[in-house]
Amino acid sequence: MSERKSLNDLGPAKITESGIAPGDYNPVAIMPDMRVCKLGGQSLLDRGRKALFPVLDEIIAARKADIPILLGTGGGTRARHIYSVASELELPTGVLAKLGSYVPMQNARMVQMLTAKHGGIYIMDDDFEKLPLYVKMGCLPIMTGMPPFGYWEKRDENSRIPPNRTDAGVFLSAEFLGCKRAIYIKDEDGLFTDDPKKNPKATHIPRISAQELIERDLNDLIIERVVIEYLSRSKWVKELQIVNGLKPGEVTKALNGEDAGTIIYAE
Amino acid sequence: MSNKLVTGDGRTHIQSKLMRESLQDRSVINDTDSIKDRRILPDITVISIGGQSIFDRGKAAILPLADELAALHKSKKHPMLIAVGGGTRVRHTAAVALDLGLPTGGVAQLVGAMEELNAVILNSLLAQHGSITMPRDHFWDLPLYMNSGILPIVISVPPYHFWEPPAEVGQMPAHRSDFGVYQQAEVLGTTHVIYVKDEDGLYDKDPKEFDDAKLYEKITLEELLANPPETNMIDWAVFKSWKTGKNIKKIQIINGLKPGLLTKALAGEDVGTVITKD
Repeated sequence: MSERKSLNDLGPAKITESGIAPGDYNPVAIMPDMRVCKLGGQSLLDRGRKALFPVLDEIIAARKADIPILLGTGGGTRARHIYSVASELELPTGVLAKLGSYVPMQNARMVQMLTAKHGGIYIMDDDFEKLPLYVKMGCLPIMTGMPPFGYWEKRDENSRIPPNRTDAGVFLSAEFLGCKRAIYIKDEDGLFTDDPKKNPKATHIPRISAQELIERDLNDLIIERVVIEYLSRSKWVKELQIVNGLKPGEVTKALNGEDAGTIIYAE
Repeated sequence: MSNKLVTGDGRTHIQSKLMRESLQDRSVINDTDSIKDRRILPDITVISIGGQSIFDRGKAAILPLADELAALHKSKKHPMLIAVGGGTRVRHTAAVALDLGLPTGGVAQLVGAMEELNAVILNSLLAQHGSITMPRDHFWDLPLYMNSGILPIVISVPPYHFWEPPAEVGQMPAHRSDFGVYQQAEVLGTTHVIYVKDEDGLYDKDPKEFDDAKLYEKITLEELLANPPETNMIDWAVFKSWKTGKNIKKIQIINGLKPGLLTKALAGEDVGTVITKD
């Protein structure tokens, strides 16, 4: 340890409305080695055993190889069903966000039950500070992907659906922890030039910048729109990786830090 | 609506309008909207008591306001929810946390504790008149409190915690106390929010620095968004969100150092700055 300075030399940098001067801000990465992964709701969980078990096998194998992993779960069709019922009743977005948080929680608990014998542990927002313990003990922490905004979720223009759902929550977990990538395990290889289910000539896009994706102004998107927006101004997460959990080996590659699927990067 | 389970594409769906659809698809999500949001507890007025502007001034500012709140509560005319800010301790927390290099989400996680202190302070003064500190998301308990003559006090900052999105400029969380109060009122379906500060209302620039600062008496949200003031007494996130909000019709900013203004504002009088939205 260096010697202590006298009190007059010390003191935090001056703060304004937006924070401290960029030159004074030296961000600390909290747990940068963590692989923060989302397990898709509609794309994986709702497919049941056939889709989920092989993905969990790859995750457990990676965890046994000492790769630290945090899993966040998506919602899926039950979330869509409750959003649909609540929208018809004209309930505010904040209530929908609260309703939408229960389904990913169920999914997280299902994954925990399946992985318990390999160290799977269900955690809540308040357990986030215990992540170092879980990692050290060789556990696999599993949580809802939904961020805790709940009733405080802002309304979007022309939509009642909460804009920050499980893609956003997983991204924000990775950003807080100081990770370079957030990983999304879905049922597609990532982005294509067109919908591959409809157009056989559609080709796969291995890398694309967030800016390019925004400029395309697609009517549909593989990931929540806010995530692309956050990516353009995040301090740590510079890449989103979307991999196909239905293809053996893809999840392992992603967990090893290799390029697979589609990478959306910040410029 | 239906209760049918649908299979055939490898997944099991519940039949609904959103079944199988991408929730990123604009045409799908636009269909969930309508011109209004249901009002859950429309009769409550949410009152924000500023941290720096009121609590940090100590006894001289707090006691008269507490007396006025007690009298208003006793009159039983206005169901109220009181939200308190944190003030200079929040600013200090952020200053130290950012100097240490903690992320935006880390700052957001920390600041709520400093508001809890002001909730306890205010509750110590008002408990004998029936106040209670309420965890902010327990608002399903509000009908119980309102019917039993209890005055709930909550903290203001929204529970974004570690998940606060990265800031657009700098490192400070964008979702702060003023926004939290606004959003709580909006989701409850109330129509009127009152921000109690230490100035006569909203000015075009900081009245503490500029003698020629001009007070807005009545202004619409559209006008305000078109001509944002140089310095903001209220977090800008409030007005940005209010633009898409459906429930709140009036945001009023009053001087809590002048006794009687809160009573007038609750009676519907145009004191301080009145911002309206059509």
